[in-house]
Amino acid sequence: MVRAVPGWLHIVGIIFVALTALILLAPLIVVIGVSVSESQFIAFPPNGLSLRWYQEVLSSNAYLNAAWISIQIALLVTLMATAIGGAAAIAIHRRQLPFSDTLATVFLSPLVLPTIIYAIGMLMFWSSVFGPVTPLTLALSHTAIALPYVVRTTLAVLAESDPYLEEAARTMGANRLQRLWFVVVPQCFPGLAAGAFFAFNISFDEAVLSLFLRGPTLTTLPVQIYSQLEFSPDPSVAAVSTIMIALTIVLIFVIDRMLGLTRFASA
Amino acid sequence: MKAILGTTALSLSVLLGTTAFAQDTTFTINSFGGAYETAHRACIITPFEEETGVSVNVVTAYSADAFAQLRAQKDAPQFDVIHFSGGQEIVGAAEGLLAPIDAASLANAADLYDFAKANLARGEGPAYSIAAIGMIYNTDAVSPAPTQWTDLLNPEYSEHLVLTDISNGYGMLGFLMLNQSQGGDLNNIQPGLDAVAKLLEAGALIVSTSPEIQQEFAQNDAWIAPYASDYAFTLRKAGLPSGFAQGAEGTPASFITTNVVAGRPNTDLALKFVDMSISPEAQECFAEALRYSPTNSKAELSAEVAADVAYGEEGVAGLIRFDPAVIEANRAAWVEEWNKTIAR
Amino acid sequence: MNDRTENLLLALPGILLLGLAFFLPIAQMLLLSISGPEGFTLAHFVRFLSDPYYLNILWRTVRLSVLITVICALIGFPLAYIMTKVGPKLRLGLVVIVILPLMTSVVVRTFGWMVLLSRSGIVPELLRDTGLVGRTFALMQTEAAIVIGMVQVLLPFMTLSILGVLTRIDGKLEEAARTMGCSFLQTIRTVVLPLALPGIVAGSLLCFTLSASSFVTPNLLGGTRIQVLAASIYKSVTATPDWPFAAAQAVILFVGILLVLVPYIKLTGAKHG
Repeated sequence: MVRAVPGWLHIVGIIFVALTALILLAPLIVVIGVSVSESQFIAFPPNGLSLRWYQEVLSSNAYLNAAWISIQIALLVTLMATAIGGAAAIAIHRRQLPFSDTLATVFLSPLVLPTIIYAIGMLMFWSSVFGPVTPLTLALSHTAIALPYVVRTTLAVLAESDPYLEEAARTMGANRLQRLWFVVVPQCFPGLAAGAFFAFNISFDEAVLSLFLRGPTLTTLPVQIYSQLEFSPDPSVAAVSTIMIALTIVLIFVIDRMLGLTRFASA
Repeated sequence: MKAILGTTALSLSVLLGTTAFAQDTTFTINSFGGAYETAHRACIITPFEEETGVSVNVVTAYSADAFAQLRAQKDAPQFDVIHFSGGQEIVGAAEGLLAPIDAASLANAADLYDFAKANLARGEGPAYSIAAIGMIYNTDAVSPAPTQWTDLLNPEYSEHLVLTDISNGYGMLGFLMLNQSQGGDLNNIQPGLDAVAKLLEAGALIVSTSPEIQQEFAQNDAWIAPYASDYAFTLRKAGLPSGFAQGAEGTPASFITTNVVAGRPNTDLALKFVDMSISPEAQECFAEALRYSPTNSKAELSAEVAADVAYGEEGVAGLIRFDPAVIEANRAAWVEEWNKTIAR
Repeated sequence: MNDRTENLLLALPGILLLGLAFFLPIAQMLLLSISGPEGFTLAHFVRFLSDPYYLNILWRTVRLSVLITVICALIGFPLAYIMTKVGPKLRLGLVVIVILPLMTSVVVRTFGWMVLLSRSGIVPELLRDTGLVGRTFALMQTEAAIVIGMVQVLLPFMTLSILGVLTRIDGKLEEAARTMGCSFLQTIRTVVLPLALPGIVAGSLLCFTLSASSFVTPNLLGGTRIQVLAASIYKSVTATPDWPFAAAQAVILFVGILLVLVPYIKLTGAKHG
């Protein structure tokens, strides 16, 4: 085995990684720092230490309403995207439809098209065909962009599954529904679960569609934060943001348990 | 299997919840954010909630933005009461977006100055407070105090001057006044744009919301800004040495109106809200908190507060009012011109 | 029921959903961009393409997106490479560091940069203290702020794209190059970089598309005076509101992205294959 890396480069590498990590994490650290500040102005490093801004957030109707709307929409999206995306992935995986490849492309296309382009279309199409935008409109549009993630994670799991299990179930007399429910779906489970958590995360954090489709009674948490930033940023924004970061950390932990983070990252 | 049942039950409840929150049971209004919204809550919204038991959903949106939303929601309006500071109610009423108000249905309407309730029957809601636009300045740095609008072009101030984007109602009025002082009028805003271009060249800064002005004065060495009188008081309350000066060329006024949106189910509640907004108590509270001029003749201000605002019918009537209909008709074009002027 | 019907039934809800909530909206937007009060018109496109103000916005969007993409690639490649070489524990740590910002809402991350870059924020203060810049130096409301913020937002996409390709490279190839006398940097240049190219290309496409179409970060960090195309679209939808013009701008954005992407894919694809 040859010497892997020259010594000086090793040091450069360490410094490089440290700096990059700092850049990636700096905004998050700052947000957390500001949220525990005592001062009424946004300041980092924080002056003093207090949880008053968390109290403020938890007693603010605007934030609580927005959070509640975000959670409801995200749950609905998780459910729809997982069910619809999982089913589609199974169909694509079996490759029995004449247009399987096209189908795969179709289901991944929301990943490629910039959200803003589609957000305008959604606003214009729905308001001209179905009338005013409702929470369901927003949930459907979030589902469309969450679908590719569910399809991908499920396909990845299916690719490693045993194709003969279903065949075995068939010879043992299981009908279509039974085979699907007791053989195929359990095989998909890790992929479906990971996809579900992604779907939740995407919907809960999504800002572009939510901004275009927002209304006085349809304000999600990211939209609420955005308008606070535009109008009157105070440390309460940091407190809400910190709560969102904490939720993300929990989700990452869960996804790591479900699918293995390193595996997902290099998929 | 249990887990699946649980998920299904959850999803059903979510679906039901979704339809429930789609048929809005809340009472929705707009406010202007920052210190204004805080005062708005304290003086009107919270008392209204306590008295009626209704929970008010407050959306932070400046007048132009709120009006754009109102127009976009023409077929299914979502605001119950909407507040404007830039005269949008005139256009809104003409387009049938706002509901006519019978003065007899407002207990406090009789006490309003006449100009504040001139077109209720057309749908233009009453003015519940008035902001005077002049120059806010740092009393330590700017001496002597500015006396006319052309003082804004003083090269000594240029790196310390803060202008406000005209998407903001006060920014629009400040700009139109600057334009007028440069020889322009509502048919020709070029002189104003030229002045703005020159000021930016010299180092002036543009912000788009009120709290940013405070930030500039507090942290970034801003000295002078054309803006509403109430903001000088806000800055003083924050411990900054600040004063308010009126330009000799005139002082534009921004009438802040409270309007009932047409086509909403809660008209009675909306009228109640409007009525509370024009009550002497609410107006005294607003004047106390933010130094806005009352429009209710019964509102009584302490000497300390009165010294800071245009007070009384005459004091208020002397303010200039740019024709809101003309502003509204030209807004899109002016905003585009403005954006082009300030673009880097 | 045969197999085909079953599969069709499985895929159908998804096809319906994407049709209603994805493809039809896009069609509607395309239609609106060419419709005026009297039917078909190209007026919205003419208005955009004949006005130096909007052309300048377009040019800035392209320029910044290219810059952001290049910086992401320059940081992302070494980062991904190092991630393949470290032990599994450290690797998981690095993956978390990369994924955490990726999964955090863009409004939250941008808020962090607003605090860091504001005139009294840490970054300008540091620069001022070291005497590198003058007293009036500001970062907020500059193109630099947009670039800094966007690089942080998009770096994870680039890193993960490259990482995906690098982990599949056979380590023995590198070793072979080294035993045959290549220096470390030569190995990177002649072995690793060409093999990583598909990942870099995919990551660049993603970064370019996302940065050309984002408006939350540019709006909040660049302010009103520095407009990018996506922000202009958002303004046309919400503030003016002029939907057909917004639709036309969106079409221009989309076509612009395609114009950059297609030759790029062809070029790098040809070189590689």
